[in-house]
Amino acid sequence: MRKLPRKKTKRGASGPPVTTVVVMRLYIANNAPNSVRAVANLAAICKEHLGDKYKLEIIDVLEYPLRALADGILVTPSLAKLSPSPAAKIVGNLSDKGSVLQALGIAELVE
Amino acid sequence: MSPRLRILGGKATRPNAGLGFERRILRLVKGAPELRAIESGQVDAVIDPATGKAFLLPEAQQALREDQARNRGLFALSADWTWELDESYRFISHSSTAVGNGAPYEEGIIGRRLWELSFDMPEAEWKVHRKLLEWRTTFRDLELRCTDRAGEARYVSFSGEPVFDREDSFTGYRGITRDVTERRGVAPIPGNGTARAIISRQTAVGRKRPDEQVSGLEPKAAAQDRIANSLLAALPRKDYVGLLDGLEPVTLTYGMVLYEPDERITHVFFPVDCLVSLLTTVEGRHAMEVGLVGREGMVGISLALGMDVSSVRALVQGTGTAMRMKAARFHKGFEACMPLQRELYRYTYAKLAMARQTVACNRFHAIEARLARWLLMTSDRVLSEEFVLTQEFLGDMLGVLRAAVNRAAGALQQRNLIRYARGKIRILDRNGLEAASCRCYTRIEGLQGSA
Repeated sequence: MRKLPRKKTKRGASGPPVTTVVVMRLYIANNAPNSVRAVANLAAICKEHLGDKYKLEIIDVLEYPLRALADGILVTPSLAKLSPSPAAKIVGNLSDKGSVLQALGIAELVE
Repeated sequence: MSPRLRILGGKATRPNAGLGFERRILRLVKGAPELRAIESGQVDAVIDPATGKAFLLPEAQQALREDQARNRGLFALSADWTWELDESYRFISHSSTAVGNGAPYEEGIIGRRLWELSFDMPEAEWKVHRKLLEWRTTFRDLELRCTDRAGEARYVSFSGEPVFDREDSFTGYRGITRDVTERRGVAPIPGNGTARAIISRQTAVGRKRPDEQVSGLEPKAAAQDRIANSLLAALPRKDYVGLLDGLEPVTLTYGMVLYEPDERITHVFFPVDCLVSLLTTVEGRHAMEVGLVGREGMVGISLALGMDVSSVRALVQGTGTAMRMKAARFHKGFEACMPLQRELYRYTYAKLAMARQTVACNRFHAIEARLARWLLMTSDRVLSEEFVLTQEFLGDMLGVLRAAVNRAAGALQQRNLIRYARGKIRILDRNGLEAASCRCYTRIEGLQGSA
């Protein structure tokens, strides 16, 4: 049988309407306190506001420092939102929920 | 107030942190948000673009040190000894977590392999263990009996995981050992029989990749667990061990064709967690599914029936692992092993009956019911409620046009039995789907169960 290329189907043709998926990268330093807090804070925010509509990659800069540099990240923890545009960056342990939501562009959905 | 604010304010809180450190940070970090985060003590590490290395701020360094010390404490509670093996499984280190607690088997251990030490275990069981190592699996609770200096029987339990370097090449094993003599209590000194029973508990867990820590919030650890092929698992242990050296694990990926009709069979496959569909083709273009093989069966049964060519196309439709065996080796094993013959004849009977049922089903039942049956059967074989399938693929499976699949899937979706979006199918209501399927589902699964 031919291996068929996956064709794009019309949205809504099957399944529920597709909402935007937020793609993020979180840069951390192993189990350092602020990094652990950032992961926990972000997990809570994602669970509350994004459901399963997000993709998150966590990068340990102690292991992959060059990946952080390539993305213009100099300090950790830092969260980079890659899509939907505009791209945004937020530095710190993400304890200020309001500014995280604003950076992710989901503040208005919450209210 | 964080000490780092004071560092930046010019007053070093730690003598060794010093002004040089402060200057270094200020030289590297210029952005306002970054500086603000550092001042409020929310930063753990800074990356120096000149060296391409990350360094930890003093507070994070201290915290990680404490963290490691705590972990060591926990570790010492759960293990008595730790060890490392090189890539040919020789011990390169062995140390105890508590001072003065030598292992009973420890003498002259460096440079030797586990099976070269004086443990009490039949050779066949070592063979199983060596296979696990060769497959780079994590093993847990390999319980072994040895004798200490006083001549008393002692039980120790080994667990280990493979180690890979950055390039993903295997560099050896590391693991822990516990003394489990007390837990085993005053059990009488066992003969070989008991040793076998103990050893059969050694379990294989899928190999861990070094890049696993770079992932989402929820680790997919469960998906790594190896589930054995049930045809092989049904064999008596002796026969299974006899076949082992002919088996090698391979990864089969979605869309791979294992056999074409009339092609010579070079290997048989025992799926572990993959799914292989058997298709009969008409004029090379039209294909229809006549069988589905998962972990309950084997691909290439014509070999067991004395034919070395395939009559169907075998197409992988669920990516996963399978155990592969060369045709010649299979012939030898098949002839010598009665239990394998018995299992395969029963399995062949079930397959044949299933194909017969499918023929009637395709002729008489509505597409929707057939689709429901097929989804249930697939889900049973991959042990998951979610899998990836395109409509063209489904069409071939059921021998109908794509549009018809679309309609049938839409109908099932409308009744909230499945969710079907962009080739991904998720079963939402299993009981409902069973009710919607034709009776052939229970009939076919019944045949499978009795086989």
